Amino acid sequence: MLNYTLRRLLMVIPTLLILVVFAFYLMRLAPGGPFTSERPLPPAVMANVLERYGMDEPLHVQLWTYIRNILCCFDFGPSFAQKDRTVNDVIAQGFPVTLTYGFWSAVFVLLLGIPLGIVAALKHNGFWDYTMTGLAIFSQIFPNFVLAPILVLLFTLSWGLLPGGGWNGGQWQYVVMPAIALGTSYMASVARLTRGSMLEVLGSPYIRTARAKGLPERTVILRHALKPALLPTLTYMGPVFVYMITGSVFVDVFFSTGGIGQDFIDGAYSRDYSILLGLAILYAVLTFALTLMVDLLYAWIDPKVRAGLS
Amino acid sequence: MIGAAKRRLTSPAFAEDAAEEMVASRSFWADAGRRFLRNRMAVVSVGMLGLLILFALFGNLLARWTYEEIDWNLLGRIKEEGGPSLSNGHWFGVDELGRDLYARTVQGTRTSLMVGFVAGPVSVLLGATIGALAGYYGGRFDRTVLGAYTIWLAIPYIIFFVVWQAFFGRSLGQMILVIILVNWTAGLLIVRGQVMMLKNREFVDAARMLGMSDLQILARHLAPNILWVVVIYTSLVIPEVIMAESLVSFLGVGIQEPNTSLGALISAGAATMTFGTLWQLAFPAAVFVIAQVSLFYIGDGLRDALDPKER
Repeated sequence: MLNYTLRRLLMVIPTLLILVVFAFYLMRLAPGGPFTSERPLPPAVMANVLERYGMDEPLHVQLWTYIRNILCCFDFGPSFAQKDRTVNDVIAQGFPVTLTYGFWSAVFVLLLGIPLGIVAALKHNGFWDYTMTGLAIFSQIFPNFVLAPILVLLFTLSWGLLPGGGWNGGQWQYVVMPAIALGTSYMASVARLTRGSMLEVLGSPYIRTARAKGLPERTVILRHALKPALLPTLTYMGPVFVYMITGSVFVDVFFSTGGIGQDFIDGAYSRDYSILLGLAILYAVLTFALTLMVDLLYAWIDPKVRAGLS
Repeated sequence: MIGAAKRRLTSPAFAEDAAEEMVASRSFWADAGRRFLRNRMAVVSVGMLGLLILFALFGNLLARWTYEEIDWNLLGRIKEEGGPSLSNGHWFGVDELGRDLYARTVQGTRTSLMVGFVAGPVSVLLGATIGALAGYYGGRFDRTVLGAYTIWLAIPYIIFFVVWQAFFGRSLGQMILVIILVNWTAGLLIVRGQVMMLKNREFVDAARMLGMSDLQILARHLAPNILWVVVIYTSLVIPEVIMAESLVSFLGVGIQEPNTSLGALISAGAATMTFGTLWQLAFPAAVFVIAQVSLFYIGDGLRDALDPKER
């Protein structure tokens, strides 16, 4: 198990390196830069500006400096477009916000999705089952960027219950809609997946045996059926987290929560190399951390996988 | 839902079923066609999608305005008089700049469908080709491809997308290109599995003994047998691609103005809904929803008709 964890962690290093090198060259070789504007700067000024940011050196030297600064001092460099902020400032300000509603969104996905799936499987072809199928199709058709405006239309403009954007230090009213908008479609997928695997488990012989022994239905479900039924859901959580990170960029932009997604998009507009690269690294690290967590949890729960690893 | 369908397609059981089915039946496509036509939702959806395509292609013949013309008469009074109206020729109203929303919706639908129906199939074709080669040759090439595949899936596509769009311009061609590049993994795993399953069959041995080259075997004997898997997968990828394009356009890094896409129109409509101009959100969103619903049911119908286990 430890061995496996270490191997996975080692895999992250070359992957990140590839990402950094690739993104770095992609951005630098493309035409335009953070200092190109409608009215070009005088050449002397331009040279000064470039020197100030170390951009007069050859590309591979810049890349090496960049990587070295990250490794030695965790320094992602200054922002090119926002004069008084460093990338570290941007991350320190925005990341807690994104993490907060992301966390609550994940809670919403799991705490509603899994029970809904289980109930739908237990009442197969009943009311809840159909409700859930409806929800699954609904979420397919209304992705977060259609759902979010509808939510704002209802909860903010029509009923005045929740604020339509902003963060306000993370008061709960400001977290609710971002979390729901981000999570709904994944909640539906989780519910659907749980339903499917629960149905499969409930039809298997050992559940029949458990019932034949005369165990109460509660025990059959909670002790015998639940754990194997949740395994597919768990494997699905890795991709879900990746999708949710993508979705968070949208949520940050739409709800103006002040998370890193907004800075990422702004960075793309202003060609702010360091912000884009820094945030891309952050997103990638976050993805790897979450995927690894899910995989380890999976190995821990499923004895077959655990045995296969050692 | 798409997730569940994809998992089924990549499972070993499916590869097993699929290989059996293909070799067993001769009138496979005819059977599948009959099964598809029996699925009422799917047939209705094909009709709806057809109408949408007609709307995208010929809708502007009905428009009285072009998509970039500003109706100066309505400026400053958009909230009161900019709504859908038959008398001034703005069937869907005007957007916040006074441009005809009907013409813009036609234009946006065209962009979105074009992206979906070009980028979707091409990326599946790319992924399928790589997958087929990896499955056929195996060995180190296969391991490299699988490694790259795993790494790629772990990176949120939005990162690559936004960086690319920001630096390489935002035309329709660029958009399609970047979607294909991001989606190169589409269909890779299933096709690889199918090829690995089929390459040891007798008919492949026979072809090899007749002196056919590897590429000939792949193109003439294996490709027809995995075509239908590719068809199902493409039907799943197209709505996803449309969704991705719309999301990116919503974020403001998609298609460049005055061109537009459904995502950009929804975004603009959502931004102005506080001012009471709801039609600016409603029409593009409705078209988007119709497209997604029909693509969803068509994909569902294709899966039911083609997947041997679903019967």
